[in-house]
Amino acid sequence: MSERELQHIGVIGGGMMGRSIATKVSQAGLQVVVRDLDEARVAEVKARLESSLDRQIERWAMTQSERKATLSRIVFTPDLHAAASCDLVIETIHEDFEAKRSLLAELDNLLDPSIPVIVNTSTLSITELAQGLAHPGRIVGMHFLYPVTTTRVVEVVRGQVTDNEAFEQVRKFARVLGKVPIEEFESPGFVTTRVMLPLINEAVQVVMEGVATAAEVDLCMKLGYDFRLGPLEWADRIGLHKVHNWLEHLFQETGDPKFRPCPLLRKLVRAGHHGARWGQGFFRYDEERNRLDRPADDTPQLG
Amino acid sequence: MKILVLNCGSSSVKFQVIETSLEMIQANADSAIAKGSVERIGMSDSRLSLEVPGRKPFQEISEILEHRTAVERILKVLVHPQHGVLGKVEEIEAVGHRMVHGGEKLASSVLVTAEVEEMIEECVVLAPLHNPHNLRGLHAAQALLGGVPHIAVFDTAFHQSMPPKAFVYGLPYEMYTRHKVRRYGFHGTSHRFVAIHTARLLKRNLEDTRIVTCHLGNGCSMAAVKQGHSIDTTMGFTPLEGLLMGTRTGDMDPAVLPWVMAMEELTLAQLNAMLNKHSGLYGVSGVSSDMRELEKACKDGNRRAKLAFDIFCYRITKYIGAYAAAMGGVDAVTFTGGIGENSAAVREQTLAGLSFLGIELDVEKNRNLPRGEEVLITTPASRVAAAVVPTNEERVIARDTVRVLGGVMPSFSLPGNEAPSS
Repeated sequence: MSERELQHIGVIGGGMMGRSIATKVSQAGLQVVVRDLDEARVAEVKARLESSLDRQIERWAMTQSERKATLSRIVFTPDLHAAASCDLVIETIHEDFEAKRSLLAELDNLLDPSIPVIVNTSTLSITELAQGLAHPGRIVGMHFLYPVTTTRVVEVVRGQVTDNEAFEQVRKFARVLGKVPIEEFESPGFVTTRVMLPLINEAVQVVMEGVATAAEVDLCMKLGYDFRLGPLEWADRIGLHKVHNWLEHLFQETGDPKFRPCPLLRKLVRAGHHGARWGQGFFRYDEERNRLDRPADDTPQLG
Repeated sequence: MKILVLNCGSSSVKFQVIETSLEMIQANADSAIAKGSVERIGMSDSRLSLEVPGRKPFQEISEILEHRTAVERILKVLVHPQHGVLGKVEEIEAVGHRMVHGGEKLASSVLVTAEVEEMIEECVVLAPLHNPHNLRGLHAAQALLGGVPHIAVFDTAFHQSMPPKAFVYGLPYEMYTRHKVRRYGFHGTSHRFVAIHTARLLKRNLEDTRIVTCHLGNGCSMAAVKQGHSIDTTMGFTPLEGLLMGTRTGDMDPAVLPWVMAMEELTLAQLNAMLNKHSGLYGVSGVSSDMRELEKACKDGNRRAKLAFDIFCYRITKYIGAYAAAMGGVDAVTFTGGIGENSAAVREQTLAGLSFLGIELDVEKNRNLPRGEEVLITTPASRVAAAVVPTNEERVIARDTVRVLGGVMPSFSLPGNEAPSS
């Protein structure tokens, strides 16, 4: 296959991750097609993406004219066929094996075999998802970290049957986005999720045992290891139900007890305390997801 | 001879075709026979426009994805039987390129050779937002016009005559020797043109005239031009230093930066964007980065707009005083650039307090300027002249191109102007 110019990128699924990826791709100067299920969803995806750009303007990360330019390169549509004219397609629908698999089957029929399809997942098996497709070699895993606009790293994952051309195209795409691609072989949780989850889980365990409060655990880790966020605030920002699901999944997949979700985590999820977006997780947050109960010691110090 | 002048930005290419020669330059008779631009490169609706004196402007919308295609289209329209001005592309005898950063070594306009290209590459790290696009344009033009000489004209070159005491920062010296952190200055092509034309307007020798040039446009900078050399300028390592600008801070206490970063938990990218894109006239006023809109808001009684306007003028006034001191006196103050040429209010307020220096503004004349002309705005009795000289960077680039080819282009760096190397 000859080197394909990357000009048009399809993003299937306009959730938080899909919108964030679409924004980043457009900011890199490429044209983006964002597809969601129906007109109503599409309108909502557009509105949410716009409001996230407004938040960036308020935070001095973007100007009005950059907002306009960014939006001018994004097309929102409910039509999956619009993806057929893209040079590369990323699916970013929810982390559900069956849903992803049936979408991949549809895309496999629709797209020219030379077009790589990226599966955005943190825990599912690329190899298993690719199984049964007419062109399984084009499936490449990519794990972006939120927010996609600022995190510098992206995990690029090779499944058992991923072919080199597709993989190299995706790696090139990562560089076009200004990201550092880390080449990985398929393994549950890849690197970032697998290393982060036990840390979060252990932090929850420490709180449950009454060793220290949630705020103290976070403060300790943040100041002690110079983390940008403590593990529990991280969990809040990811979403506790997601953290719980991932742990559950890795536990089932590996049988390793270090991934068994801590009962306190389960309890919070059942209580609907899903984290920052919901106003309450380990900590409390306002509507713009600013943490409300930050201890005085957890503020920036000069000198 | 006909020179093509190219000025490449991230998503635009501006161009002019200039009919010129050493004799025409001497007689001030060199002039553009066509000018235009390609905007929105990389989009499906890129716009090519062409203006030829005495004709209706021409526009064409099409998909232009890269600089090379843009230059291709420019050449095509220039030889178009109906819209063009050239019979064939070969009539172009040389290409002059605007380059933002030439660093310390490229202290004059030069013929582009492989070695020069490498030196321009080395400066990319100093001007990551500009030099790569300038180079892209250069490469495109080299590919399409391989048979003619290409000349690079640098924004920084004119200021290479600054003495070390004006360009070295008070940082540990290693920041200079290791990372080339020093003041470079920008808009040099404009400051040079304006200084030469001011002396001509005053019928004086440039060599014994002390001029403060004020380039007030999207970016704003001033230069102290003594004996034809820039001895100081307000922009520094980047175009952020000095005057208040549309969206840039200009001078401030650097200790503010880590403080603001910590208090607002900003990333480096956010901080950079804040300083360059959300500050200045826009940041202070909350109204606009455009001086015309700001002046309107001032008239409507917007107090923050007035404050932004006052800061803008005050800094210029302050630097005129500073540069008069730096040059041991001043003979002329010249305004240029979009704001400098068009805002009577800015000129009036800036010069209002400077009668002690010998500047007597002719208020009426200042308010009723003929557009696009070089004029004095002070009274005949004024000891120090103030003038408006419309800038024309493309013309300077074409002139330098001719001079380099004719072997009469001097370097701007002065002997004895190097800072210690360790």
